[in-house]
Amino acid sequence: MSIWFALSPLLILTFGVLGLMLADAFSKRHSDLALGSFITFFGAGLMAIGLWIMGGVPAEVAAKVAPWIILDKFTLFFTATLCLGGAISSLLAGGYLPEHDLDRGEFYALMLLSAIGAVLLAAAGEILALFIGLETMSLGVYAMTAFRRTNPRSAEGALKYFLLGSFAAALMLYGGALLYGATGTTTLVGIRDALTGGQFGSLRDPSRLPTVVLSMVFILVGLAFKISAVPFHMWTPDAYQGAPTPATAFMSVVVKGAALATMMRVMLVAFGDKASASWSSGWPPVVAGLAIATMVVANLIAIRQENVKRMLAYSSIAHAGYLLVGLVAAWGQGDPAVAAEGRAALLFYILQYTVTTAGAFGALILCGSRGREAVTYEGLSGLGRRHPAAALAAYYYLRVLVHLYMREPAPGAPQAIPMRSGYVYAALLISAALLLYFGIMPGRSLEMAVAAAKSLG
Amino acid sequence: MIPIPAFLVLAAVLFGIGAVGFLVRRNVLVALMSIELMLNAINLTFVAFNRAYPHQHTGQITSFFVIAIAAAEAAVGLAIVLSFFRLRKTVRSDSADLLKN
Repeated sequence: MSIWFALSPLLILTFGVLGLMLADAFSKRHSDLALGSFITFFGAGLMAIGLWIMGGVPAEVAAKVAPWIILDKFTLFFTATLCLGGAISSLLAGGYLPEHDLDRGEFYALMLLSAIGAVLLAAAGEILALFIGLETMSLGVYAMTAFRRTNPRSAEGALKYFLLGSFAAALMLYGGALLYGATGTTTLVGIRDALTGGQFGSLRDPSRLPTVVLSMVFILVGLAFKISAVPFHMWTPDAYQGAPTPATAFMSVVVKGAALATMMRVMLVAFGDKASASWSSGWPPVVAGLAIATMVVANLIAIRQENVKRMLAYSSIAHAGYLLVGLVAAWGQGDPAVAAEGRAALLFYILQYTVTTAGAFGALILCGSRGREAVTYEGLSGLGRRHPAAALAAYYYLRVLVHLYMREPAPGAPQAIPMRSGYVYAALLISAALLLYFGIMPGRSLEMAVAAAKSLG
Repeated sequence: MIPIPAFLVLAAVLFGIGAVGFLVRRNVLVALMSIELMLNAINLTFVAFNRAYPHQHTGQITSFFVIAIAAAEAAVGLAIVLSFFRLRKTVRSDSADLLKN
């Protein structure tokens, strides 16, 4: 197998976005670009699954790009998951952007470029590759958040997201620099070897201990920002509310998925040694505490929201809490059998989360046409009687039972009117079908999650 | 020859100034500059640590990439600040208060 074939998911995304930008320059109807973007994501995801079916990338081929890009089954699993999320988001964008008079082609290019960063981030096995992936992903998403140029809320959400996001990235990179100083290497596997007592001295070496602990704190804070765990979640509701809804779907699905992948790699591989991963002196108690705080705070605040998008933002923060619980389980008290189960469960969870969350934002997009967006619960009142099909979709994904079916809108209050778009219907059908498939016949995807988890570390 | 810890302390101080400036100052442009200062402190840390490992160049190479990424980040950041300024006629971050429940 040649290295080009092994890297084909990334290459398809790269050449797809170049072609798409050319097509954007010559095309009149930009919503057709959504189809091109969907096909690019679909092709990249298909290549990842194809490589998987062929038994993964052979070790001698993967060694050509290691340790910067790691081409194991873990990477392939995340590539397929991220491409699935990106594909659904681009279909949603194809419906949403023309409806709300934002029909400009850059959006799809930004989404694909950002997805390249996300795939690179999930594959990164080295601090510099990790940072490049993180920034490539984030810069695209910042621009997508600010995409509603005439809307002050969009600019404000993007500003907050950008400032806090780059602050977190800088903290994380400083952690990486300190770790380089303490261990003499920037590869994740090399860092683990050094910390378990390799040629550069071990964590027990008292002169290096403060540097290692400090770098762990910085890296953990940076990653917690990216998956939006409490107390580093302040930007999330604002960015989610300000961004156009397909960008929000992309942020909550792809960005969070890639951040989880790199968090698993950094915490379980680089900091996977006995001293760093232990209840008494390592990261598990900190992550467990973050998880508890995130789940409690996010769900409590989510109840009080009146804006549906902000509610979904807090729901996505709560999901970050569940992911962190999974991360502690994936450490499994150092027991390899328990850890394997925890890792597989975490991977299966992110697959489900991708489909469900993309569907939830799709239902929200479906319920609002131009000027009559489904912003608040109040706007959804009585939708069940007026538009049964859209209400069914909203109920399936969002479970807003009372407002959809049991309440009539107040006189004079703004009401949501569903939009018509083949792209949005297609996205909702794909996510509903996949959700049913994963739910009724989980065997195949669970097996993949188990195999992907096994290849980590 | 200046010892390595001197560079590291300088980098830590610069990083601290950047972090405090980011958290304290209300002007978005100053916050952007603070982030740049933090990234430059990181570069200094990487290069200084590289002197402790003379058989490789990882730290120096990393700093080149970080410079390029910082430039890209500044470009996107300034564009966002500009679009914020055009709509709100201010660059103060405490006037970014439209998004609330």
